[in-house]
Amino acid sequence: MDDAPLIEARGLTKRFGEFVAVDGIDFAVACGETFGFLGPNGAGKSSTMRMIGAVSPVSGGTLRVLGLDPATHGAEIKQRLGVVPQQDTLDFELTVYENILVYGRYFGLPKDVIRTRADELLEFVQLNERRDSRVEPLSGGMKRRLTIARALVNEPSLLLLDEPTTGLDPQARHVLWDRLYRLKQQGVTQVLTTHYMDEAEQLCDRLVVMDRAKIVAQGSPRELIRKYVQREVVELRFAGEPSVDGRLDGLGDRVEVLADRILIGTDDGDACVHAVHERGVAVESMLVRRSTLEDVFLTLTGRTLVD
Amino acid sequence: MAAVAAQPLTTPVQRATAVTAWHARSYRRTWRATITTAFLNPVFFLVSVGVLLGKLIDDQQAALGGLSYVEFVAPALVATTAMQVGTNDGMFPVMAGIRWLRTYHAVLATPVRVAELVLGAMAWSVIRMLVAATIFTAVAALGGAIDSPLAIFAPFAALLCGLAFHAPLAAFTSSPMLEDGSGGWFPAINRFVIIPMFLFSGTFFPVSQLPDWLEPVAWATPLWHGIELCRDLCTGSVELVATLAHVGYLGAFVAVGAALAVRFHERTLLK
Repeated sequence: MDDAPLIEARGLTKRFGEFVAVDGIDFAVACGETFGFLGPNGAGKSSTMRMIGAVSPVSGGTLRVLGLDPATHGAEIKQRLGVVPQQDTLDFELTVYENILVYGRYFGLPKDVIRTRADELLEFVQLNERRDSRVEPLSGGMKRRLTIARALVNEPSLLLLDEPTTGLDPQARHVLWDRLYRLKQQGVTQVLTTHYMDEAEQLCDRLVVMDRAKIVAQGSPRELIRKYVQREVVELRFAGEPSVDGRLDGLGDRVEVLADRILIGTDDGDACVHAVHERGVAVESMLVRRSTLEDVFLTLTGRTLVD
Repeated sequence: MAAVAAQPLTTPVQRATAVTAWHARSYRRTWRATITTAFLNPVFFLVSVGVLLGKLIDDQQAALGGLSYVEFVAPALVATTAMQVGTNDGMFPVMAGIRWLRTYHAVLATPVRVAELVLGAMAWSVIRMLVAATIFTAVAALGGAIDSPLAIFAPFAALLCGLAFHAPLAAFTSSPMLEDGSGGWFPAINRFVIIPMFLFSGTFFPVSQLPDWLEPVAWATPLWHGIELCRDLCTGSVELVATLAHVGYLGAFVAVGAALAVRFHERTLLK
């Protein structure tokens, strides 16, 4: 019924003294979409999230969240936000249920409403059997799921997830992705930051790539791949330092030499593999894979996402 | 314009109360650890120093203004009991909320404002101080160390004294100066501020016993004013001017401390 953006930023800037953490970025998040900030650590993703969450004053530019200015309507915005911070902020002394109860009270929800919702939410994040356990001994993945359940207690219009799966093991990540995907199907607008390209590809309808406080590209994962890189990548691995003495010249459309391997971007991976063999390059192994957001990032910045 | 649903905001008092309720709930898990400092230690001091040591020095009553030694010491311990609770609550829960467990960050992701967070936490400490001071006053009165009916107000005087420690320490703990979150300052504060005050601000002897140059230092401590207030109430010798002066002095510590605490919490948590 309204197609105005839930979040709109123009020239959004965050400075800490001399240091510029976010440098004049523009973006808009529409209702119902899952929007991502992809970039390495220190790119300014978390600073942006904190400004959206109205816990960090904007240093420059304009920001509207749910149509409101965080500087003047922080409490009103927060009343409708769900926030999953990068580091756990659960009360370890309390039980799983009590963490949700205490949190729900900050929104002014009556206890019986919180109790009903907590039971639903704990079911949703598969923690109903741990309802009355203390939080401290729970695994990292469980704690993160509890944080998500807690963030949903006020039925937020907008869910902010700052690095939702950082530090989790692969299985726990997949459980979490599955839950976030379901929320998306239920129509919950999500904004997330990540430095995992697979996470961004799995979850985001649209994303911006951030590097050094700036947005360097934006679009859907497929658009970004189509726009910035070739369809496939041939990865060459070497026994020692990669050394090719110009023998790859003219192969593929783009060659990236990394510390441990060489990547060749091409629209025809098999032909490229064949050519490498023909030229007698002494590789230890070679594989063809489809291009990912990691390759987009590498092309745009010359660096990898996770060092 | 994305329309904001008509979801009513809670009032500041409701939000601060929710913060107080959180602290109360957490306390259900940790209360055992606080029993010693809040309840047992004051009673131990009352018995060992007030009663048993007091028996040896009861011929000194003129210097104590006509009181027996235990009558002199007991009211002071009402004030120091609250001081201990206020000191603890101004340091550890604040550091835990901001830096160790980061639970304060969770609170501020909700509509709760910084002032509500700080005052809500302080309100929980108020309850703890009142309970501790009231229990101690009752124990001392039952033991015959306090006999003025005005002593029912002593826990409130002690509360003011405790807040005069809580508020400035909450400001100190939340200040950007303690950014590293080590808490290494806390034992030092205890050793070099709290314990010397406990020993030299009129708890166990009148400050007139101090060397002349040190006596004004004792007058400057909030604890001395808290002790004087409690002692006047417990012995039934309240004078209006002195009482107002003590209350004003302690009130200034509370007001300035609380204002700084809100300011520093803001600066540290909302960067």
